[in-house]
Amino acid sequence: MSRSHRSRSAFATFLRSFLIQSSWNYRTMIGTGFGLAMLPGLRRIFSGRPEEFEAAVERHVEHFNAHPYLASVALGASLRLEADGVTPETVRRFKTAVRGPLGGLGDALVWATWLPVVSMIAVASYWLGLPGPWAAALFLMLYNTGHIGLRIWGFWAGLEAGRDVAGKLAAARFSAWTMRLRSWGVVVLGILAGAVLGGEGGLGDAGSVWAALAAAGFLLGLLVGHHVWRPAAVAVVAAIALLATWGSIR
Amino acid sequence: MSLLGLSALGGAIGLDGTSVGQFMVSRPLVAGLLTGWAVGDPMLGMAIGMVLELYLLVSFPTGGSRFPEGATATVVAVGSCAGVEGGGALALAVAVGLVWGHVGGLSITWLRRLNGRLVPGEEGPRPSVTDIVLLHVCTIGLDFLRGAAVVFGGLLVGRTVVGQMAPFWPLGPGGSVGLVLIGGAVSLGILLRDFGGFRQNRLRLAVGLGLGLLGAQLL
Repeated sequence: MSRSHRSRSAFATFLRSFLIQSSWNYRTMIGTGFGLAMLPGLRRIFSGRPEEFEAAVERHVEHFNAHPYLASVALGASLRLEADGVTPETVRRFKTAVRGPLGGLGDALVWATWLPVVSMIAVASYWLGLPGPWAAALFLMLYNTGHIGLRIWGFWAGLEAGRDVAGKLAAARFSAWTMRLRSWGVVVLGILAGAVLGGEGGLGDAGSVWAALAAAGFLLGLLVGHHVWRPAAVAVVAAIALLATWGSIR
Repeated sequence: MSLLGLSALGGAIGLDGTSVGQFMVSRPLVAGLLTGWAVGDPMLGMAIGMVLELYLLVSFPTGGSRFPEGATATVVAVGSCAGVEGGGALALAVAVGLVWGHVGGLSITWLRRLNGRLVPGEEGPRPSVTDIVLLHVCTIGLDFLRGAAVVFGGLLVGRTVVGQMAPFWPLGPGGSVGLVLIGGAVSLGILLRDFGGFRQNRLRLAVGLGLGLLGAQLL
């Protein structure tokens, strides 16, 4: 793959990866977004070969799904495979093989770990006295350092390794990073709980009854897990509605 | 800011949730600040955004799952209680935001079904580059309109509910905050479970709790 190919059309493909979910649907999932992102690279690879270009576009708008950030790995690798001239069936098989792992790794690392940990850092900072705009800026900077870093790494790892990208993914040790982040996340969770309990205008100021109810809610979440989230939100909304109604008819 | 202005803001912030970038400008703590600035009360926006952020800590936009939409929910919550007097405004706004988050989540499901009708089918003609680019312009535009419509409807309902009921709210400021934080505490419990549970993490949790309490006293 030539340097100019890598530097221009590949960069355009990388930038378009930020739109990969813009046509999310239950038929092709992020497949059509994947095709949109591939267009600049494919145009370059199949320059002067319109029939092959159209066929390549068609196979890249087919069904595909992965975590949106780690989909950049598949984008880079698919671009490399197309540039290497492998058969369409090989490209299809590669994409089918990587979509599951890229989805699972990304969901665990980003949605279930990185996002809540950074959110908790920002909320705890706010509760400990950091001005709101600074807390929001801290959140955006921290989160997007990881987010954009992951996208850049994934895309160039895919582009460099092609079908051997699995080795790069294994070497990156995402599962170990996830576990490590979760360990630190528990410390952050404790800091946040302490800040909400002891901070100005927090549960400590609300009174012992509210602090006890919050502790009960915490225990419920810990024991039951995600199943209790929706009922708890409904219960809070119902309590607010009842109190407001009672207040207005009193 | 007018109803239409806030709706446009909601539509724009909502795009970040799925369609464009996912830089997490759509998270309640950022959306709350932006809406607070728009209505001239950033402190109120931050307060509501932080509470809703606690609720949505364990709500992830994974795959095809239906999840409450934080961006439109926060714009609706902050826009509903801006300028409203009475101690209940915060609690009522959080309640409106939680309900409207699910409306937003439902609207995302509808949009995804609609997108499914717009994307090229396997049996149809081979899609051209123009078809693909226009499809994405169209789906991004639809997502913007969806977010704006959700916020518009939410503000009509939310402003009425909060405006009518806030003056009669029976709890003081401490009780109001305590009530809305119960749901946030549930989210923290769920997150501790996700991160390995209490037994495995009790020392780290205790260290964090101690640091948090100490920080709250010192800072």
